[in-house]
Amino acid sequence: MSQEARQVTIVMIEDDEGHARLIEKNIRRAGVNNEIIPFANGTEALNFLLGPDGTGEVNQGRHLLILLDLNLPDMTGVDILDKVKGNQHTKRSPVIVLTTTDDAREIQRCYDLGANVYITKPVNYDGFANAIRQLGLFFSVMQVPETA
Amino acid sequence: MPITSQTFVRTTIGLMLVGLFALLAIVGTTIWLVDRTQTYFDEVVEAREARTAAVDLRTAMQDIETGQRGFLLTGNESYLEPYNTALGTVLPRYETLREILIPYPQAAEPLERLREGIDIKLDEMARTIELTRAGQRDEALAIVNTDQGKALMDEARLFFDALIRAADERLTTGVSDQRANALALRWAALIGAVVIVLVAGGSAVIAMRYTRELAKARSEVEALNQGLEERVKERTAELGRANEEIQRFAYIVTHDLRAPLVNIMGFTSELEASVAPLQALATRADADDQDPEIQAARLAANEDLPEAINFIRSSTKKMDGLINAILKLSREGRRPLRPERIELQSMLGATAAAIQHQVSENGGAIEIDADVPPVHSDRLALEQIFGNLMDNAVKYRDPKRPLRLKIDAKQALGNRVIIEFADNGRGIAAQDHERVFELFRRSGSQDQAGEGIGLAHVRGIVRNLGGEITLQSVLGEGTTFRVSLPRDLRAVVRSTTS
Repeated sequence: MSQEARQVTIVMIEDDEGHARLIEKNIRRAGVNNEIIPFANGTEALNFLLGPDGTGEVNQGRHLLILLDLNLPDMTGVDILDKVKGNQHTKRSPVIVLTTTDDAREIQRCYDLGANVYITKPVNYDGFANAIRQLGLFFSVMQVPETA
Repeated sequence: MPITSQTFVRTTIGLMLVGLFALLAIVGTTIWLVDRTQTYFDEVVEAREARTAAVDLRTAMQDIETGQRGFLLTGNESYLEPYNTALGTVLPRYETLREILIPYPQAAEPLERLREGIDIKLDEMARTIELTRAGQRDEALAIVNTDQGKALMDEARLFFDALIRAADERLTTGVSDQRANALALRWAALIGAVVIVLVAGGSAVIAMRYTRELAKARSEVEALNQGLEERVKERTAELGRANEEIQRFAYIVTHDLRAPLVNIMGFTSELEASVAPLQALATRADADDQDPEIQAARLAANEDLPEAINFIRSSTKKMDGLINAILKLSREGRRPLRPERIELQSMLGATAAAIQHQVSENGGAIEIDADVPPVHSDRLALEQIFGNLMDNAVKYRDPKRPLRLKIDAKQALGNRVIIEFADNGRGIAAQDHERVFELFRRSGSQDQAGEGIGLAHVRGIVRNLGGEITLQSVLGEGTTFRVSLPRDLRAVVRSTTS
């Protein structure tokens, strides 16, 4: 397994461009240089994650880490989470839910569906930046399995 | 035709009266007829007695005469046997007859004559027998031949015959009267029975019709009632949905407002971070101080930019606070209530203990008198209500005097409990009494930190618990908050969810 192949790709599904930019900036500040592929809507993100045929076979040899916002224009992040965790090719990829919603039922539902981490975006910017940076540090040490 | 209850009562009473009268008539007629029967019977018995007495007397007289004649013919004493036997019975039998005939005055005169006749006859017979015994039979026969005795006897016979005939007639009429009487009795009973049957039947028909109409009316009422309950249920469900909708709406809106706010704050920070290098550049010592462009850049980097950023910061911070407040309210509204048994005295004491240091710092005091039975309510909600009200009392105390907060709980009508928080703080102006309960509205001088959500929040919780909060206040003297709560939240929850 080559170094190139083990490089983890961060898939960021976030409809708010500002949030996307701030997240990316702060991840970079934490010294994480992995490729970040941003998606502003659920349809494109699913296309990428499961392939145009929707089977998920496209992920052969990929190492993916998914950053997921729940409030998307075309579908809810929960739908994406459900599909990703329900697909045998992508189910092992870690999914980090990063959203403004802090409804207890929503959090429970995400973990029930197989979310690995659930983080509420702090409105306070320092807190937000801090959280993202720590997430970046977390990325730099975490192991991501290869998708089947 | 529908029967009103009034006509029903009237008709029923009327029919009952008719029935009662019919019954009384039957009873009265029967008693009267039985009485008459008794009279007839007595008369018949009397007639029979009179007849028997008359026959007996006649027989006795004939026996005496027969005995006398036999003796006169033969001179033989043995022929006097019937005479002797009957002689003693004549007068008693006469007495019997006379007594029986006392009620008939028309018989008195003939009886009197009969008596005289009997005396003369007996006298004559006694004399003839005496003469015969003395051997003077011819003289005795001469007396008999005067025909005086025969004439007397004939007269007596006529009287007896008339009496017996009269008695027989009486017997016959008595029997026929009796028969007529029985017939009348039968008819009276029959007519009475018919009337009673008619009355009873009429009552039964009317009662049945009335009952049927009552049943119909009742089922209509039940149907209406059912419909009403359905409607109430629907309305309650609609209200519940509308409330849910509002809560949901507030929740979504605040979340959607939060997202752009994160951007504004985030990029403001980015902006601030990038101001530092600009400042460094503009204030570089080697720069030309006289260059107007450098001076303008220095002004912008050192004053204008930080000022703008500060305003953006404070505004976003305020907005964040407001959004959080709305979020808190909407979340509180969505939180399910968990009723439990709560001792108000200890809960109020615990809440007061949390602010005790703030109170005693200024020489203030809190007095709690909550000697009421335990309530069933939501613990968290009550703690928030009490905490908010006590905090307010401390926050808005009058700096000129130490705080006196008197908390008083008592039971009230309708299974409720009323808790009053009376302070001697700065008070609330009359025009603000309602306003202080509105979201983001505050009263008096704005010298305390706050967003104006405390009382709005409290009112929301109190109403959620099925209660109400009101206030009385005089500016500069103090405020009394009055919280009225149901003693048992379970009853309230049941009635709104069922």
